[in-house]
Amino acid sequence: MTARPRLLILTPDYPPAPGGIQLVSERLAAGIERLQTRVLTLATPGAAEFDGAHAAAVHRVDLARLPHAGRLALLNASAMREALRFRPHLTLSMHIVASPAAAAISRSLGVPFVQYFHAEEIGARPRLAAFAALHAREAIAVSGYTAGLVRAAGAAGARITVIPNGVDVPVDATPEPVDRPTFLTVARIQERYKGHDVLVRALALVRAQVPQVQWVVLGDGSLRPGLEALARSYGVDGSIRFLGSVSDEQRNSWLRRTHVLAMPSRLPAGGFAGEGFGIAYLEAGAYGKPVVAGNVGGALDAVIDGVTGMLVDPLDELAVAEAITTLLLDPELAGRLGAAGRVRAREHAWPVIVERVQSVLLELLAPSAPASTGGRPHRGPARDAA
Amino acid sequence: MLLAGSIDVISGSLECEPDGYGTACGRSCEGAADPRHAGGEGGTRSLCLPLMCGIAGSTEDPEGRKVRGMCATMHHRGPDDEGIYSDAASGVSIGMRRLSIMDVEGGHQPLYNEDGSLAVVCNGEIYNHPQLREDLLARGHRFATSSDTEVLVHLYEEYGEELVHALDGMFAFALWDEPRGRLLLARDRFGEKPMFLHERGGELAFASELTALVAVTPGLRELDPVAIDAFFVFAYVPGPGTIVPGVRQLAPGHLLSWERADPRSRERPWWTAGADGLVPQERFESVLAEARRLFDESVRRRMISDVPLGVFLSGGVDSTLVSIAAAKQSSKRLQTFTVGYDVGSVSETAQARRTASYLDSEHHEVTLTQQMVAERAPALLAGLDQPLADRALLPLNVLSEFARPRVTVALGGEGADELFGGYPRYRWLARSRRAESALPAGAARPLGALLRGGAARVGRGERAARRLAPAPLLERNLDWVTSERRGARAALYGPRMAGVGEGRVVADLAARAGGHRGEPTVRWLMHLDQIDYLPDDVLFKTDRAGMLASLEIRTVFLNRELADFAASLDTSVHLAGGGKAIVRAMLPDGVINTSALGRYRKTAFRVPAAEWLRGPLAGALDRQLERGVIYGEGYFDREAARALVREHRSGERDHSELLWPMLALGLWADRFHGLDDG
Repeated sequence: MTARPRLLILTPDYPPAPGGIQLVSERLAAGIERLQTRVLTLATPGAAEFDGAHAAAVHRVDLARLPHAGRLALLNASAMREALRFRPHLTLSMHIVASPAAAAISRSLGVPFVQYFHAEEIGARPRLAAFAALHAREAIAVSGYTAGLVRAAGAAGARITVIPNGVDVPVDATPEPVDRPTFLTVARIQERYKGHDVLVRALALVRAQVPQVQWVVLGDGSLRPGLEALARSYGVDGSIRFLGSVSDEQRNSWLRRTHVLAMPSRLPAGGFAGEGFGIAYLEAGAYGKPVVAGNVGGALDAVIDGVTGMLVDPLDELAVAEAITTLLLDPELAGRLGAAGRVRAREHAWPVIVERVQSVLLELLAPSAPASTGGRPHRGPARDAA
Repeated sequence: MLLAGSIDVISGSLECEPDGYGTACGRSCEGAADPRHAGGEGGTRSLCLPLMCGIAGSTEDPEGRKVRGMCATMHHRGPDDEGIYSDAASGVSIGMRRLSIMDVEGGHQPLYNEDGSLAVVCNGEIYNHPQLREDLLARGHRFATSSDTEVLVHLYEEYGEELVHALDGMFAFALWDEPRGRLLLARDRFGEKPMFLHERGGELAFASELTALVAVTPGLRELDPVAIDAFFVFAYVPGPGTIVPGVRQLAPGHLLSWERADPRSRERPWWTAGADGLVPQERFESVLAEARRLFDESVRRRMISDVPLGVFLSGGVDSTLVSIAAAKQSSKRLQTFTVGYDVGSVSETAQARRTASYLDSEHHEVTLTQQMVAERAPALLAGLDQPLADRALLPLNVLSEFARPRVTVALGGEGADELFGGYPRYRWLARSRRAESALPAGAARPLGALLRGGAARVGRGERAARRLAPAPLLERNLDWVTSERRGARAALYGPRMAGVGEGRVVADLAARAGGHRGEPTVRWLMHLDQIDYLPDDVLFKTDRAGMLASLEIRTVFLNRELADFAASLDTSVHLAGGGKAIVRAMLPDGVINTSALGRYRKTAFRVPAAEWLRGPLAGALDRQLERGVIYGEGYFDREAARALVREHRSGERDHSELLWPMLALGLWADRFHGLDDG
């Protein structure tokens, strides 16, 4: 049996810490089979049990007393050491904060790297994002919106492939009964751009036409108290259930029960990055539910307007309310959009996504690929593998 | 640096245009019994107060006669427009008096839905009506006019009473739902537009002006001593009651529904101010970016394309920020206006010129002379719906009149202090609370008493001691805003005020604010100002000052998304730096001379009241002391008042804090007293 090529995955974020980047890092590590993978990441509470229960080879670095910036520097330093030990053929940098190490490994060991781009980190560190894009052999962006952010950060000629994040698609998507018309939002209540505030104002209008409606809000964050106070101001708090952070099982149960998933993400003010993709929309689709999303940003990749959901102006409470009400009052339409959403979700199931990423990685290692060791690959305009 | 010659400073006095609406134009009314009539004593001109747009209605008025009468009191000679809808079967009539000169984007009212089953009259503007119209058209609604008000009937068709949740605007409207026999009254969230109500014997009547209700309703001639007490303490009449027993206001953010089948009025809030403190952990840059986005959007919605806009520059951060945002978005050159005085030491003109130069606006400076004060102030103060002792009324009205021939609409910065933590007392009280919490338990109150007592003995620093020494926060806040008026009442009141308890005014205020759990916070004070001071002083003043000159003043900070955003931020975010941190951070560097600003305690529209009371208004004061109804009827003690006036006039003391409210009340009461009874 020929030895598989070796892949070093560098990421500051990894389970059991929650979050999108954590999740995709783990799925890739676990799912990529045609390369031998090794993950280098930071320690986090519960790491030992997690790593023990999972097959992927994970090495954790930590100096718990260091502030976050110190830990990132440590990660980058440890990455070089790890590369010397593991001798990867390819590095996968899951976050731009690991790109200095990936670039150093590329320069000194001749090992190319692939950089992953999500959204928010680009707005937070545009120069580092540009650096990463220009030094990587290839970039993977989770949406066309994200690819645009990368180019706008200063990497106009970068080679970018769009591969969205994946979803877990349940084998059986039988809905669970619920006693009231329900719409659901699953998101951290930490960034205003998610649109929870617009939903509070829209709820007053939805309730006028669907008196029994309830809005179930899963997720927590520092903006939650303000959101609850806003709901009280508008007198809609009686129609909202704030359930905070819940387990995956509880979340999935709500996805089975709800009629609609609503998350009208908008473009944040001031040029900060917003919704990179919106995996929540696909998660709802996986359970056969229609979605209401904003007609901007990453949602444009995640939702097909009129097919898997409804895209509306995320700043127009009336339009958001109208979309939700329409879906609540027209089960046939909701069912149709939900069914199409499930088909789309299957196309984005994790095995499919992992396979796409794996293809990109293998293609870089193919004998026909140029043997240049780092430096800027100017192979023409970015290619979007949608 | 002021570049000489780079701005066009136009100094002027008010012209009296042939069809203008100036209070100095000396039109006569139909006799002294006309409710619009004011002044005329002591050789001053009698004036016919022009009025404004207004709505009115009654549930016992099948032919609209009563409503016509109410609209008539809101009448002024000049091009105008009246519309009344009567549903004879139910007895309900609603009507609107609108000055055509005010036709900003409006049309003839009442307005109707597609099949005529709904009728609405609205006083105000719905700023997001273009977006609403688009959404409603997409849903199949058909519009008959281009009026912003028409969205109301179509929104009602969709959402019923909840339509208010779709609106960004200032409004007080009445909607008659004929098939259901339901009348819906609504008032905007902050109280920018007025709505007065009177109920008797099963009839509900409403009007934009208290005077209109009084004019058509027999028996509404009493004054409420409790309201007078509150007026004297606060310098305005706090809602939702009014100075006339039996007449109340529809509170801001409230709806009232009334049904023919069950004719009781049902009021409920559709929005309530939140009083909780909130601590989000966002980066300041993203907070600021969001604030800018919301602010610019608010300005955009309030502008009308291709029409010149005006901004009144006071030299403070609010008006400066508004003017910068307006200039940025306006295709026409911005018109800016500032008022100056010929007496006293207050001047905003220097900073205003700096801002105007920065903006390259067409800048106008108006001097409010003592002569103008003598001619205008008595009629202006007398002719209001309810007495108001906010001294900024006069300069604001003068600016409005001056601006009116040049602009149709002015943008105002009202509300910024209440929403964004601008008043210095918020910072001071927050600081002293922090210091207090460092004291050992139980030491605070005695220490406070000691400090205040000590100051009283020494005879100095009483004001500071009262404000800063530990004591219940509400008490200290009250002391700050009401100066010495609370303590001075006992000596000044006459026998007619005997029934009013000393603590009543505080208890009522606390009740209106809904109480609080434990010790109130500064956040709670901001909330209190939002529901009390803002509607009944600031917005009442702005609405009247502008409308008396037929100028519509559109507030930018009271946009609902911006207000929600401000409410979501912790007080510490707002009070950082010099206070009103978000607003200041939105200003470009260097526009405001911040060292001057440091010395510049809140002086927007500070007026030389003390000098005016000694000079141009001396005659009015004397006439009041001689014949004023408030003395004749025993509300105030004539001799005590005389002594105050003497002391003030001699220059020995400055009693303007006491005399101005007394003058304002006295002038108003005389006119009210002189009205015919029904």
